[in-house]
Amino acid sequence: MALAHRARRRLPISAPTGVGFFAMRRSAHRTHLAGLLALLAACGGGERGATTRAPLPPARRIVSLSPAVTELLYALGAGDRVVGRTTWCDYPPAVRAVPSVGDGLSPNLEAIVARRPDLVVLYRSALNETAAQRLRALGLATAVLPQDRLEDLAAAARVLGRLTGRSAAGDSIAQSLAALVAAPAPDLGVRLAFIVWDNPPMVIGGASYLDQLATLAGARNVFHDLGTSSAVVSIETIAARDPDVLVTLVDSGAPRLPAFAARREWQALRAVRERRLVMLTGSLFGRPSPRAAAAVAELRRQLEGGEGATR
Amino acid sequence: MRWLGLGLAAVLALGLALVLGPTPVPWAALGSSDIVRELRLPRALLAFLVGGGLGLAGAALQALVRNPLADPFLLGLSGGAGLGAVLAIATHLSGPWTLPLAAFAGALAAMALVYRLGLAGGAELDPRALILGGVAVGAFAGAVTTAIVSLASAVELRNALLWLWGGFSGSSWDGVLVVCLYFPVPLVVLLAAARPLDLLALGEEPARYLGADVARVRRRVYVAASLLTAAAVAVSGVIGFVGLIVPHAMRALWGHQHRVLLPAAFLGGGILLTLADTVARVVVAPRELPVGIVTALVGVPVFALLMRRWTAS
Amino acid sequence: MDRELILDVRGVSYRYPGARTEALHDVALALGAGDFHAVLGPNGSGKTTLVRVALGVLAPHQGAARLLGRPAAGWSRRELARIAAVVPQREENLFPQRVRDTVLLGRYPHLSLWGAERPADHAAVARALEGCDVAHLADRWIWTLSGGEYQRVRLARALAQEPRLLVLDEPTSSLDVRHEMELFELARRLADESRLAVLLITHHLNLAARFADRVLLLSEGGVVAHGPPGDVLTREAVERVFGWPVAIERFQDRPQMIPLRSRKDGA
Repeated sequence: MALAHRARRRLPISAPTGVGFFAMRRSAHRTHLAGLLALLAACGGGERGATTRAPLPPARRIVSLSPAVTELLYALGAGDRVVGRTTWCDYPPAVRAVPSVGDGLSPNLEAIVARRPDLVVLYRSALNETAAQRLRALGLATAVLPQDRLEDLAAAARVLGRLTGRSAAGDSIAQSLAALVAAPAPDLGVRLAFIVWDNPPMVIGGASYLDQLATLAGARNVFHDLGTSSAVVSIETIAARDPDVLVTLVDSGAPRLPAFAARREWQALRAVRERRLVMLTGSLFGRPSPRAAAAVAELRRQLEGGEGATR
Repeated sequence: MRWLGLGLAAVLALGLALVLGPTPVPWAALGSSDIVRELRLPRALLAFLVGGGLGLAGAALQALVRNPLADPFLLGLSGGAGLGAVLAIATHLSGPWTLPLAAFAGALAAMALVYRLGLAGGAELDPRALILGGVAVGAFAGAVTTAIVSLASAVELRNALLWLWGGFSGSSWDGVLVVCLYFPVPLVVLLAAARPLDLLALGEEPARYLGADVARVRRRVYVAASLLTAAAVAVSGVIGFVGLIVPHAMRALWGHQHRVLLPAAFLGGGILLTLADTVARVVVAPRELPVGIVTALVGVPVFALLMRRWTAS
Repeated sequence: MDRELILDVRGVSYRYPGARTEALHDVALALGAGDFHAVLGPNGSGKTTLVRVALGVLAPHQGAARLLGRPAAGWSRRELARIAAVVPQREENLFPQRVRDTVLLGRYPHLSLWGAERPADHAAVARALEGCDVAHLADRWIWTLSGGEYQRVRLARALAQEPRLLVLDEPTSSLDVRHEMELFELARRLADESRLAVLLITHHLNLAARFADRVLLLSEGGVVAHGPPGDVLTREAVERVFGWPVAIERFQDRPQMIPLRSRKDGA
């Protein structure tokens, strides 16, 4: 295994979390955080029931490479420890004062190291796994957390709670998110589709956060059966599934009618003809966040509103 | 007889495009169904016209640059179109026709630039300079596009690139109308150049002494073929291999005489692209493949076969 | 003689862009119907340039070329191809074709933009094939032809243009003696019987001397001599132009050049 090579060099290891990876316990004399991360990994990362140990030095300088993590850190009350963020991190507004270390998609290692963090948190993706390895090679403790759905976020809240020494807050957030997931709102009888791009038409599928929000709000995503988080389809496919409402995400600002609604070929959809279009604004909906309950409520409110948000 | 076969194939291709789709439409209602009229019919027509344009442009360009392995996108147009589209998105221009117009403008800019390079200091186009200029412009545009995409933070850029990979999902009657208004002039210019293209196959000097105004023919064929290609990109992104393979297939059936080859290439291109679009819609339903992938999957093995025959002869 | 001149080139000079010396300097040439002129000279003496200037492909910066009385620049290429046919040195045919189809290309100057070939066109092709003695090859693919046959096919294509002036640029450079003679005989027959003006550029001094009425000897772009072969092809002139010792013999009243060996050959 690749880790075997590093066994020869005296570097702190931190194992990636997530199912399937096992840490190799070695002299973790460098950072106790690394050891804690390894323990959490050995317990399977995002599972419930990770045992706690005796209190360890909490992270003091954290670089967050994920907007969801940034929000969580502030929600935990550890916002003052965030010393680096991505350009996408815009909530809460206070975070804008924190220096940005890039867009986070392909992490800028130098900028991160320049912030002298003792913990770097990334969103789990193939690209970020590589970046995390390089950060570890530089001696930084890193945590790579899945953040696709609310369950992932709950687990992340717990992990971050432990890492920042705010376990109680972390557990509390995790519990409220779990409660949210466990109790979807009553069925509205509304079938919807999320349209994220119009040419070619792209819809949101079953594996994504938005789909989960829809379910929790009591609606049904007509493309729930698609296993991916997004997919390119044709207008006719959407028409065949005949959603009642079309939902689009727009940047913050006054929502206008989405451009495609005026085009001739989109009139084949009943939702367009009836102008049942919902526009969701702001970063509240673009990614999983601890404000998920507010997102669900807002979505439900708009769906119940009936005619959508056209002006 | 072969023309009849081609005609039947065209009817079959269009028919399949109208009949197949995720919404079940009973045969009786085919004529009156909204789905067929507003979605499938314009899409099928657009695919046919674009495919025809690419096939025709490909045949003409192969004669112009005297290289049977030329493709309409060899001359830098796809790079220019991509750059235009990406610039439009990066500068947050909006509007339903923004993307196609920006791609078209980018393709035209590339065409003008390659034309200048193709003059190579003289007053006439040099086919070899055209090819080299086209490759250079395409590479340059591609590099700038990549730079913009990596520097800008708009998520829409990724989706714009999806559009550029080719597809007819956005087909509408408006698009069909625009193409029908725009295509005839370049089409006629190319068809009128059929005999001079036959002469050009002998070489520049023999063609000249046989009465061809070589410089004028080259200019016109280059501009007309580029305009057809630019329009195709604007409407449906970059769809490769149609302009490359269809002329070869038609040559195998009809020979090299351009008076016959050019119309056949138009029809053949239309048939191929309509069928490819139908496959793209149907094969991974409910999802869609970019049609450029289907043409590549068909095109690459055919291309390999052609290369073997070409190097063997 | 007060005949109509088909080709009249007077005092033309031409320099290729970027060249230091002129490719042609003050060259004149005139042909009427039935004339058979040969242009001779070493490599680079301007023979092919002369053809290009004569037919308006290049514009001389001095002097002028006229065809049928009109300046060469005043002809469109199509019009010009109806009266003058050129068989250039090189041809790279990209397409496989049948002989009949490649000869048919010669009818281009006579065809309308959209119209199909008419019976008159096919008749002209048939006559051209007959005239060059390749009618029996009409349905063969051109890649199956021998060098001599292919050359005659190219000549047939030129004849299909039904020109009044025929220009042949080194038509026999890769042919054996039989095909060479056949081609020269054919060119002579075209001049005599069909009253074409024939301009033939060749390296073959001896055949030019035997078949041509007049010979133009060029050297480094300038005219060395112009007139009947006996007057032009003297030992002094040939030795000076070609830079090799020769002896001139007469055969059937025409000069024939015999190059001498580098050591004394014996008189």
